[in-house]
Amino acid sequence: MNGMRFFDIKSLSLSLGGAPILRDVNFSLEKGKMLAIVGPNGAGKSSLLKCIGRLYKNFSGTVSLEGTPLSELSMKKIARRIAWVHQTGTDTLPFTVREFARMSRYPWHEGFALSTKEDEKIIENALVTAGVVSLAERQLNSLSGGERQRALVASALAQGTDILFLDEPTNFLDYRHQVETLELIERINQEQGMTVIIVTHDINLALHGADEILALKNGEVLWSGGRSAFLEKKMLSQIFDTSFEEFENPGQEIPYLAPTGFVR
Amino acid sequence: MKWGRLALLCAFSMAILFAAPFIGVPRVPFSELFVLPQADDISVLWDLRVPRVLLGWVTGATLAICGMVFQALFRNSLASPDLLGVSTGASLGAVIYIRLGLSFTLFGVLSGLSLAAFLGALLATFAIYMAGSLPRGGMSEATLLLTGVAMSFFFSSMNMIIQYSGGYIDTFRMMRWSMGGIRAVKFAPVYAPLAALAVIFVTAIFTAPELDLFVAGEDIAESRGVSVSKLRRRLFVLVSIVVGVNVAVCGPIGFVGLMAPHICRRLVGADHRNLTIASLLFGGAFLVVCDTGARTLWAPGEVPAGILTSCLGSLFFLWLLFRGRERG
Repeated sequence: MNGMRFFDIKSLSLSLGGAPILRDVNFSLEKGKMLAIVGPNGAGKSSLLKCIGRLYKNFSGTVSLEGTPLSELSMKKIARRIAWVHQTGTDTLPFTVREFARMSRYPWHEGFALSTKEDEKIIENALVTAGVVSLAERQLNSLSGGERQRALVASALAQGTDILFLDEPTNFLDYRHQVETLELIERINQEQGMTVIIVTHDINLALHGADEILALKNGEVLWSGGRSAFLEKKMLSQIFDTSFEEFENPGQEIPYLAPTGFVR
Repeated sequence: MKWGRLALLCAFSMAILFAAPFIGVPRVPFSELFVLPQADDISVLWDLRVPRVLLGWVTGATLAICGMVFQALFRNSLASPDLLGVSTGASLGAVIYIRLGLSFTLFGVLSGLSLAAFLGALLATFAIYMAGSLPRGGMSEATLLLTGVAMSFFFSSMNMIIQYSGGYIDTFRMMRWSMGGIRAVKFAPVYAPLAALAVIFVTAIFTAPELDLFVAGEDIAESRGVSVSKLRRRLFVLVSIVVGVNVAVCGPIGFVGLMAPHICRRLVGADHRNLTIASLLFGGAFLVVCDTGARTLWAPGEVPAGILTSCLGSLFFLWLLFRGRERG
């Protein structure tokens, strides 16, 4: 046993304004894997992701990366490892796609530093990977939902980290752009070997690309493990209080799941 | 293109800085400096005009940069130092000083009135800072902003109580002070504001990447590696002190801090490195123009520059706003 896990989350609990949001969350994740945190609205998915990435700091328990508690690192050091695609707040930004990607180089700079040639190369690569080169000089607030999502992924890639966090990346996107965004994320996970944690309430998207599933309900971990075991256990109706039916998914090993009604 | 605009702005600002001392009553013709200079003219120029124009430029530049930093910190385009209690705190200090009938000068250069105003500004900053950090988990942008606005109203009310209770002469002096104006005889009053400007300019240039990220939002800034609450606290205190130094010398001068960054954003974009330089140049030039107007339009009398900045500034701002809207 090598003993050192990549991500290790131990007895993580969080209260906001006196209300318990997360209770005793424990799990670990191997390098290069993609984890989907699933659960109904208000289960604490986004809060959990923010605790892991230290955007929330007043939780109890520990989050370690390769054996080092993240609480011992500065935000800048953490930002060299973890990049984010956030759920909201980016639709009115007065920056172009390239400018926004350039801002992600911040954690690698010290003091008064202008963008270097190497920075620009990394930014260009990120734009290419996310397929937004043609949008590079457009303002973020002029993009459509799907375009903006890819631009945000490009910005996250430009940060040059080995870990990517995404909070509901397919929200408000139509089907084509959901698939497009998801395929981009899977490609980043598989081709660039980035460890990915994605928060979503869309179970089909989660099952499509994720190696591991962590199911939350009312702030507690209901289940965690590989995705095939997740399907065998029929966890879904318990998580969402809704019954689901499985449909054959031609060409895919994972069936398509559709909600069919309340569990009474 | 942005560098071109910055260069133009620099030329414009410098032209105003050098031309303004020659405008006014009595007139000091430029040519006379080299041919047959008269002692009176030289004295008017070097002891009155040049210090005053310089102080005006420094003040405008300081307020513009401070406004820019505050607007980024609070992600609020209406945030400005005069809105957040620092100016009203300074006024309160000045008003108390006048009401108590104090009159002293420290080390022969630092007037008691300025000192009182500066202490008022510091006290206000401290109060807002303490009140804003009371909630657990530190200051959010909204709590700090609202605390500042509420405190500002509180200080204003104290201010008015003291003014109301004062005699005619005191009240007149208090009112005059709170209108703000550029007053300088010789260079002594320029030093402290100039030093404060240097501090805030260098700070703004060095924290420009962080300010860019602040504008993008708290979560984005943190996830890109900025320690948001720590940096916000530091910048809040620093800006408040810098504004305090300035208000202590010039009194509250409205609208420059609010408006100049907006206009500069339209000229050079949202990048804070360019914006800092543009704010310095534009803010300085704008206040010099206003102050030159203030001392010449009603010559030989004059009006406080603060009135002109608010008047011209708000009209200009409205024009920009509606012009922008028409173009969509």
